[in-house]
Amino acid sequence: MSQRIINHPVLGKLDESQTITFTFNDVEYSALQNESIAAALLANGIRTLRHHEESGSPRGIYCNIGHCFECRVTVDGVQGERACLTPLTQGMKVVSGGKLQTDVRDWRANHGK
Amino acid sequence: MENKTIIIGAGPAGLTAAITIASRGHSVVVIDEYMKPGGRLLGQLYEEPNGNWWNGIVESDKLHQQAKKLGVDIKLHTPVSNIEVQDGIWSVHTDVEIHETTHLLLATGAAENPLPIKGWTLPGVMSVGAAQVMTNVHRVKPGERGVIIGVNVLSSAIAMELKMADIDIACITLPVSNTVNEKFGQPLEVMNSLLHVSHMAPSAFIKMGSKLMKNDFFKQLGITFFPKNGVKMWDIPIMLRKAVTEIIGDGQVEGVKISTINPAGEVIPGTEEIIGADFVCIAGGLYPLAELAAVAGCPFYHIEELGGYVPLHNERMESTLPGLYVAGNITGIEGAKVAMCQGQTAGLSIANNLENGILEKELVSSIQHTEHTRENAYIQFHPEIAHGKDKLKLYWDEYNAAVTK
Amino acid sequence: MSEKDIIICRCEEVTYSELKETARKFQCTPRELKLRTRAGMGYCGGRTCRNAVDSIALESTERNESQISLKYQPPIRPVSFGKLGEVIE
Ligand code: FES
Ligand code: FES
Repeated sequence: MSQRIINHPVLGKLDESQTITFTFNDVEYSALQNESIAAALLANGIRTLRHHEESGSPRGIYCNIGHCFECRVTVDGVQGERACLTPLTQGMKVVSGGKLQTDVRDWRANHGK
Repeated sequence: MENKTIIIGAGPAGLTAAITIASRGHSVVVIDEYMKPGGRLLGQLYEEPNGNWWNGIVESDKLHQQAKKLGVDIKLHTPVSNIEVQDGIWSVHTDVEIHETTHLLLATGAAENPLPIKGWTLPGVMSVGAAQVMTNVHRVKPGERGVIIGVNVLSSAIAMELKMADIDIACITLPVSNTVNEKFGQPLEVMNSLLHVSHMAPSAFIKMGSKLMKNDFFKQLGITFFPKNGVKMWDIPIMLRKAVTEIIGDGQVEGVKISTINPAGEVIPGTEEIIGADFVCIAGGLYPLAELAAVAGCPFYHIEELGGYVPLHNERMESTLPGLYVAGNITGIEGAKVAMCQGQTAGLSIANNLENGILEKELVSSIQHTEHTRENAYIQFHPEIAHGKDKLKLYWDEYNAAVTK
Repeated sequence: MSEKDIIICRCEEVTYSELKETARKFQCTPRELKLRTRAGMGYCGGRTCRNAVDSIALESTERNESQISLKYQPPIRPVSFGKLGEVIE
């Protein structure tokens, strides 16, 4: 299944020459070199990037430019990375966040001044 | 220490400022959290009245290449979390290091306003800007068939862009009216605001609008008789007499519930139907993204015409804080061409201050050029933008009078 | 939270009726409404919901034209502890 826009009347043909592979929740997918994690997953038909930490409701991209933090995933072990502005590289391991066992609202306590 | 000017934001304003400063021989670093330079300019794609295409990717690339040639240091994928000032030195905190400078320009652009609707957290619901970037920049379809909620300049322009990429748009329609969505959900209000973009033809709808809507009576008439199934613009139905009451789907978007509304935006019972879609765009317009200016302690004014709260600044793009400048949509919502002019002005302001005021003449002409560009803008986000700028001038004078007293 | 209620703050899942209720009860300013409900205090720093929360509070209080209505506090982007550690070390 591909949702890529290969031919565009004004923007021309998409360069698909450089492909890589990465994993999302341990499943391997292919992507274009340097595209965002969010774009690659969508091109593979995947919209749900994480589940809300408390309610468990599914979330995907919302703003696509780094403002809303809805798309945060764990990338090669680093938590809280925004899938919409992180470029993919070969072999990247992406893991979605899920509902947590405990109440996480307190993460802010460490930020407040 | 080498004193590099720091610019936060690699959009049209930030890059133009960088080019302006670097071409005077000063060193500049531009920081942006996105993975490509260009900011919101990247997604833009429309045909101008003279038949030329405004291609945001090409324009961004031009700016990027020019900046690179002049030796501008562009740090991408680098979020800024805080700025502070001490003894005239600004420090800019990123994830990995702290940069220092005497001249700091904030060109952080705009963020999108939400139109909260039942079900809008479902995967597949995204801001209209998100769909634009997915389509034009990443070349991935946001979905096969979409519904756009919110009728305004931005959403109609982006609807056409999606159409160009062969994405089916079921309709552009209103959100159900509530305290938050207020004006966006009232057909009369929306019609009113659309009248100001009548120059954005080719649109039968808008042409009809501007002729018909000469006064309030006709406006009322226009809404009452506005065909329930909408009129088509670029073959996309625009439905001003319908509103989405809920976005539905099991785990992701499968469609929307839509009802007929009266001219005041109230749902007419028994009119509900379901439209199938696999993605939904929320188009609540843009507001200036000014959190760094707020953290720095700039005074703010709420100016409707500029899209929300803006940090106080003058025509030279200087804020009230020494060494802190602003340019682009952080100063009010306008098109990329105006943002570039403002970037040039901010750049000249900074260079002028670095060079003991020898660029006064250039600065004055850059300010005039900005006004000229504003007057001739093809896409205007608010019809009274110039009026908003006048208000700001008054606030600036007031503020400075109070401070010097 | 009722399943059918509209979420206003996506990060903290604060609903429309919760905000309306609180605003009515306490005649809150935007800042106070935020503190009482946590709307706007989530991961995105209120970037997504701020104006929506504002508009609910502004039904019962006047907008302050000459001051940002909801205060911003650094960091405006979440900083991970790992990264903070690198800076401090
Ligand atoms: S989608 Fe909003 S931050 Fe990634
Ligand atoms: S949406 Fe409310 S804090 Fe993020």
